[in-house]
Amino acid sequence: MSLLTKHVPNQLKLSTGVAGLVSRLVFLVILDLAAAWFVAQLASLGYFPFAAAVAMITVAVNLILLIPKAYPLRWMVVGLVLMVMFTIYPIVFTVWVSFTNYGEGHLVTKQQAIAQILKLKYLPASGQSYKWTAYRSPDGQYALWLQDAAGNGYLAKPGEPLLSAAPGQAGVGELDEKGIPKTIEGYRRLSTLQAAADKNLTEIQFGEAGKTIQIRSPGEAAELLPLYVYDEAQDAMINQETGVVYRNLRGAFTAPGGQSLQPGFIAPVQFDNFRDFFLSPALRGPLLRVITWNFGFAFFSLLLNFSLGLAIAVLFNDPRFPFKKIIRSLLIIPYTVPALITILIWRGMMNPQLGVINRTMNTLFGWSPPWFTDEWWAKIAILLVNLWLSYPYFMLVCSGALQSISEDYYAAAQVDGASPWQQFRYITLPLLLVAVGPLLVASFTFNFNNFNLIYLFNAGGPPIAGSPTPAGHTDILISYVYNLAFSGSRGINYGFASAITIIIFFIVGAITLFQFRYTRMWEEVSENV
Amino acid sequence: MKKITPVFALILLMSLVLSACGGGTPTPAATQPPAQEPTATAPEAPTSAPAAEPLETLIIWADDTRTPILQGLAEAFQAEYNVKLVVEDLGVVQDIRSQAIIAIPAGKGPDIYLGVHDWLGALVASGLVAPLDLGDKQEAFVPSALEAFTYTDGKLYGMPYATENIGLFYNTELVQTPPQTWDELLEIGRQLKAAGKVEYATAISSGALYNALPIWTAKGGYIFGKTESGAWNPQDVGIDSQGFIDGVAWVRAAVEEGLIPETFDYETAHSLFETGKAPFLMAGPWALDRIRKSGVPYAIATSFPDNGAPFSGVQGFFVNPYSKNVLLAQAFLTEYIATEDMMMQLYKSGNRPSAFKSVLEKTDDPDLKAMGQAGINAIPMPNIPEMGSVWTAADNGITLAVTGKMTPEEAMKDAAKQIRDLIAGALAGMVNLPGTWQDQVGCGGTWDPACQASAMKKGDDGLYRLTVNLKAGSYEYKVALDGAWTVNYGSDGKQDGPNYKLDLTADAKVTFVYDPNTRLVTVTIE
Repeated sequence: MSLLTKHVPNQLKLSTGVAGLVSRLVFLVILDLAAAWFVAQLASLGYFPFAAAVAMITVAVNLILLIPKAYPLRWMVVGLVLMVMFTIYPIVFTVWVSFTNYGEGHLVTKQQAIAQILKLKYLPASGQSYKWTAYRSPDGQYALWLQDAAGNGYLAKPGEPLLSAAPGQAGVGELDEKGIPKTIEGYRRLSTLQAAADKNLTEIQFGEAGKTIQIRSPGEAAELLPLYVYDEAQDAMINQETGVVYRNLRGAFTAPGGQSLQPGFIAPVQFDNFRDFFLSPALRGPLLRVITWNFGFAFFSLLLNFSLGLAIAVLFNDPRFPFKKIIRSLLIIPYTVPALITILIWRGMMNPQLGVINRTMNTLFGWSPPWFTDEWWAKIAILLVNLWLSYPYFMLVCSGALQSISEDYYAAAQVDGASPWQQFRYITLPLLLVAVGPLLVASFTFNFNNFNLIYLFNAGGPPIAGSPTPAGHTDILISYVYNLAFSGSRGINYGFASAITIIIFFIVGAITLFQFRYTRMWEEVSENV
Repeated sequence: MKKITPVFALILLMSLVLSACGGGTPTPAATQPPAQEPTATAPEAPTSAPAAEPLETLIIWADDTRTPILQGLAEAFQAEYNVKLVVEDLGVVQDIRSQAIIAIPAGKGPDIYLGVHDWLGALVASGLVAPLDLGDKQEAFVPSALEAFTYTDGKLYGMPYATENIGLFYNTELVQTPPQTWDELLEIGRQLKAAGKVEYATAISSGALYNALPIWTAKGGYIFGKTESGAWNPQDVGIDSQGFIDGVAWVRAAVEEGLIPETFDYETAHSLFETGKAPFLMAGPWALDRIRKSGVPYAIATSFPDNGAPFSGVQGFFVNPYSKNVLLAQAFLTEYIATEDMMMQLYKSGNRPSAFKSVLEKTDDPDLKAMGQAGINAIPMPNIPEMGSVWTAADNGITLAVTGKMTPEEAMKDAAKQIRDLIAGALAGMVNLPGTWQDQVGCGGTWDPACQASAMKKGDDGLYRLTVNLKAGSYEYKVALDGAWTVNYGSDGKQDGPNYKLDLTADAKVTFVYDPNTRLVTVTIE
C-alpha cells in the first residue's frame, strides 16, 4: 500500500505537467477572450468601475496561472474571485457611488444620455409633416404614401423627389375612403404594424437629397433634422434650432437660463453628499435625536434581550427544574417563526382598535397604551417586540455556555460559603461573558441597523412634532436615511444613500473596535481556547 | 490528481460566469423573473410569411393581472406579423418601476412596460420613457386620462388603459341615502353610535393625504397650484392653505368626539366597515373584492360629500426609449392594443374603469360606475417629481394634528415647510449669482447655481453680499435661490427675467448686494 502511494503521484505529475499546461493555456485564451468582450461591452455602456473590476480579476487570474511562483495560489483563486466580486467590489462600488449624483434624474451614464439626446429631431420652419402609409416591393424596396395636413397625397421613394400623384399616375391605384391608394404597381401595401416590424424602415430617407423625409412615429413622417449636436470641446449640447448652448453642469446639460435637457446622467459631485448630510439644515434635521435613540435602542435591546435570555438559561440550568425540555422547546418558538411574520402579528395585537392586547386592557383597566401615537409607548413597543424576537437566541447561546462552566468552581465556592448570588456574580457571569462577549458586540451592531423591525412595525412613527424634515420618534439612522434617500425629495438617490452607508459603517466600526479593545475579548477568548 | 485540473478549470470558469452575472451590479436587476416563453410554437404554415424565425421580439413587462391577457395575443400576433411577443410577469404594478429604473439604463429593459401616470416626472427626468404619438387613436381615449400621461413639456409619454380613484362606500343596512356634506356624514355616525349600532362614523386608512383627499379638497385644500400654462407649480405648495388646515381641524374635532379613530390604518378601517362597526369607508377599486367577500351590504356614493375630489391614478403602457424597436412598440400599442376588443379584455380582468371611451360607455359594473361618477372631478396625482417630497411630510403633519400633538395650523405649516425645504433640496436657503464670471472665482464652470464659491452671505441687515475680484470684460449673471434654477430672478426682479449685465473696463473688486425684498442686485465696483 505504502509502495503504491509513493510511486503513483510521480507518474501523474508528469502527465499533469503537459496536459495541465495545455488545458491551462486553452482555458486562459477562452477566459481572456470572454473577459475582453465583456469589458468592452461594459466600457461602451459607461460602466467603468465594473469594467475595471472584471479586467483586474482577469489579469490576476492570468498571472496566477502563468507565473510559476504564484501557481500555488490557484487553490485559492475561486475563493479570491468570489471575495473580490461579492465583498470588495460592492464596497468599491458603494464608495464610488457616494461621490456621484447617481439617483433619479441621473440614472443613465453620460454616453447613454448623449445618445438619447442626439436622437431628438426637429421640424425646420420650412419643413413638412405627413401621415404615412408604407408599401413594399417583393425585392424589399419601400415606398411611402404621404398625406399632408390638407389631405394632399404624395408618393415618396428613396432618392427621388416627392411626386404629387393622382390615381392612375405612376402606378398609383384607386384611393380608399381615407385617400390612401389601395395598390401601387410593383408594391404591396403594408399595415402600420407590418411596416413597423421592419427595423430598417425608420432609417430609410425618402425623397430627394437635402429634403429627406423620415418616419418619426406610427402617425408621422417628416423632414426632420437632428435637434442637438454634441460639442466635445465645450462638453456641451448645441441646439440647432435656437443655437442655445447646453453645458454639462453636474450631470445635466443646462442652458444659461437654467433649462436642462433630459435625461440627466451620472456625474461626480465630490463630497456634496457628505456635506449635505452634515451641513444642510434641511437634511440634518433631527439627526442628533435620531442618533441618540439609535444608540439607546441598540443598547436597551441588547440589555433586555440578553438579561431575559440569561435569566431563563440560568433557571433551566438548574437540574431540579420540572418539564425542562418541553418548556425550553416552547420558548424557542419565537426564534423559529420568521421575524417578518412576528413583527406584523405584534403590530396587529397592539392595534388600538382591534388588537387583542389593547382590547383586553381596555376591558380590564379601561385604558391601554397608545403604542402607535405616543413617543415613549412607541419606543417601549419596539423594545418589547425586539425582546420577543431575540431572547431565545441569547437563551440558546447562554445555555450552551453555561454547560461549559465546570461544576468544580461551584463546588469550591460552596465550600467557601458563597451565596447563590455571589456564585452567579463572580463565577457564572465573568466566565459566561468571555464566551458570549463577541456575540453581544455582534448583536449590538445588528440592532444598530435593525431596519426591518422599525420599518415593518411602525415605519419610524409617530412623527416628531416641529421637525425640519419628516422623521419619527422611533426612526433609527438607517430608517431615517431610507426615507430621505429613497422616498424623499426626488425618488431614489443612490449617491446620498451610499454616502450615509459609509458614515454608518464608520460609526458601527468605531463602536466595535472600541468594544473589542476595551474588553480585550479576542485575547481572552484565544487564551481560553 | 489527474482529473483535478480540468475539473478545477471548469469550476473556475463557471464561478466566473456566475459571479459576472450575479455580482456585477449590487442591484436586483438579475432577479427578473424568467421570461415566460410564449406557448405558441412556430405558426402553422402562415400564408404570406413563410419565415420560421421571427423577425423581431417584443418584450413587455406587465403585472400578474394583465400578463395572461397580453400573453394570449402572442400566437396570433406572431402569425400575423412574424414578431414574437414575450410577456414577463413582474407581480404588482409598483414593482415594475423599481425593476425598470435598473434594467433600462443597463440596456436590459423591456420594449414596453406597464405603469402609473404619476411616475412620469421621474421617468422623464431619468430618460426612461419615450414620447408616444397616438395619431388618430387619440380621439378614442378619455381626455383626462391622456392629460395624466402628458408631461409639463406638452408631450404624451404613455398610453392609458384604466383609471382608478377612491369612492365613498356606505353600509346600506345602516344608511339609506349617502350624505351630501361631511357634517351630515358625522351626524349619521353620531346617531348610529348613540343607538349603539356602530362604534365610529368612519375610519381613515394610513396614507391620509391620499385616502382622505375628498375631505381636504372639500374644505378648499390643495396640494400644488398650477402655473399659467396649466402645469403643476411645485413652488405653490397648498398643504398649509386655509382650506387644508380647516379639513384637518374638522377631522381632529371628529376624533376628539370619538367618531373617527385616532390611528389611521388600512386594516382597521376595512375591518370596522366590513364588520358593520363603521357605516362609511373611503376605499378604492382594489378593495372591491375584499369588501364583496366580507358580505357587508354596501353601495358606493356617486359623489363625495361637499363635492370633495379624490386623487385619480391612470394606468398605462410606457415605451422604453432604449428599445431597438421603438417604432414597433409604438405601433403595437396604437394599432393592436388601442382597440375596443383589447381594451374590453383589459377592463374585464382589471376591476378598474377603462380609459377607452367606447369601453367606458359599456361599463356595466354598478360599483365601478358609481366610483367613476364620484371621480368626475378627480385630481390626477401630480406627475411632477416634486410630489415625492409631499407624501410623508403631509401624512406626518395630518397625524400630528389629528393625534393632538400640535394644532392643525402648526402641524400643516410645519409639514408645508418640510415639503418646501425638500423641494428646494439640500442647498435650501442658498442665494447665488450664477453667470459668466463664475469660473474666475473657482467654480470650475459658468452658470452654476450651486457653486459654493459664488454663494452670497447674509448680513445682519438681511441683505446678501458677495465680493469678488474680476478681470476686465463683459459679464452676465442672474440671481438663483436654493442652489437650483427653479427659482431665479432677472434684472427686473422677476422670475425668469433677463440677465444682469456687467461691463468692467479694468480689473476690479466687485461687491454684489442682493435684497430679498425687492429681489434686485446692486453692484459696487472699486
